[in-house]
Amino acid sequence: MSRLFQFVRQWKPIIKEGFSQSFLIAKFLCLLHVTNTHVCTPVLVYGPSMLPTLNLTGDVVLVEHLSQKFGKVGPGDVVVVRSPENPRKTVTKRIVAVEGESVTFLVEPALSDRSHTVVVPRGHVWIQGDNIYSSRDSRQFGPVPYGLILGKAFWRVWPPDAFGSLSQE
Amino acid sequence: MSLQVFRHWIPTVKDAFDRTLMVAKFFCGLHVTNTFLCTCALAMGPSMLPTLNLTGSLVLVERLSIRFGKMASGEVVLIRSPEEPRKVVIKRIVGVEGDAVGNEEATAVVPKGHIWIEGDNKHNSRDSRQFGPVPYGLLEGRVFWVMWPPEDFGSVGRKVENNSLESSAGCQKT
Repeated sequence: MSRLFQFVRQWKPIIKEGFSQSFLIAKFLCLLHVTNTHVCTPVLVYGPSMLPTLNLTGDVVLVEHLSQKFGKVGPGDVVVVRSPENPRKTVTKRIVAVEGESVTFLVEPALSDRSHTVVVPRGHVWIQGDNIYSSRDSRQFGPVPYGLILGKAFWRVWPPDAFGSLSQE
Repeated sequence: MSLQVFRHWIPTVKDAFDRTLMVAKFFCGLHVTNTFLCTCALAMGPSMLPTLNLTGSLVLVERLSIRFGKMASGEVVLIRSPEEPRKVVIKRIVGVEGDAVGNEEATAVVPKGHIWIEGDNKHNSRDSRQFGPVPYGLLEGRVFWVMWPPEDFGSVGRKVENNSLESSAGCQKT
C-alpha cells in the first residue's frame, strides 16, 4: 500500500507538468482555429474548373473570411463555397452575379450556342468556374445561397512562380 | 526624468497585458465550444408554435449531429436563412434528400445535398414551401433542449409527420 503511495507521489509532478503542457497546446490550437475560421486560412485548390486562373494540379491560396462577414464579396471575386450538392465538399469558383442581377450563360458551351438568362434571387449568388468547358457550377446546380460562401481567395502562396495576388476580372 | 516615469508604469502595463491575454484565451475557448459543441439561441416568432414560444424561448443547440452524419427527418434545427444570409431561423426538417414532400396538390422530391424544412405552425411560417429545398451546408445545429420559459423546460423531440410518409409511399424515388 505504501509502495503505491510512493509511486503516485513520484509521478504527480510529471503528470501535472504533462497537463499544463497539454493545456498550453490546447490554448494555442484554439487560437489557431479561431484565426483560421474568422480571419485567414490557407486552402489547397485543385481541378480544371478555374483554369487558367488556378492550376490543375494544385495551388495553395490564402482565403480571408472578413469580406464575407461584412457583405463585401461581389462579382469578380474568387470565393471558396460549401458545395450545395455535397455538404462535406468545398469548391472554389468566381462570383459572376449577385442577388437581383440577371445572368446570361451558355447552357452547353462545347456543344451549342444556346444561351439562357436567369435572375439571381434574393440572398443568392451565381458562381461559375473560369474554365466554362470543364466546370460544375451554378449553370448546373443553380444560384447558391450567400450563407454557403466561406471566404474570398485573395493571394496565391504556392507554386512559387505564381506567387501573388489573384487579380479581379 | 521622463524615463523614470516610464519605468514606473512597466509592471502595470505588463499586468494589464497578461490579464487581457487571459480573457482573450477564455473567449477563444468559449468560442470553440460554441462552434463545435453546444450553444444557446433565442427563438422568437410564431412559426414554431406550439413547440416554441411566440415571444421568445431560450434553446440549447448542439453542433455535433450535423457534422457526424446526415440529420434525420423530424428534427428541429437552427439553419441560416437562404433569403437573408445574416439571419438564422429555427425550423423542423420534414424531408431529407430523396424524400418526396408535399400534399395532394403538389409534390416535390428533395434533391441531393438538400433538406426540406417547415415550421410547426403551418399557417404562419415562411419555409421551404416558399423558398424551396435548402442546401445541407446551411445547417448550423440541432435544437435539443428548451431552457426558458420554465414551463417549457425540457427536451425538443423528433416528430415524424404522418402525411409525408403517405405521399412518399405512392411516389417513385429518383
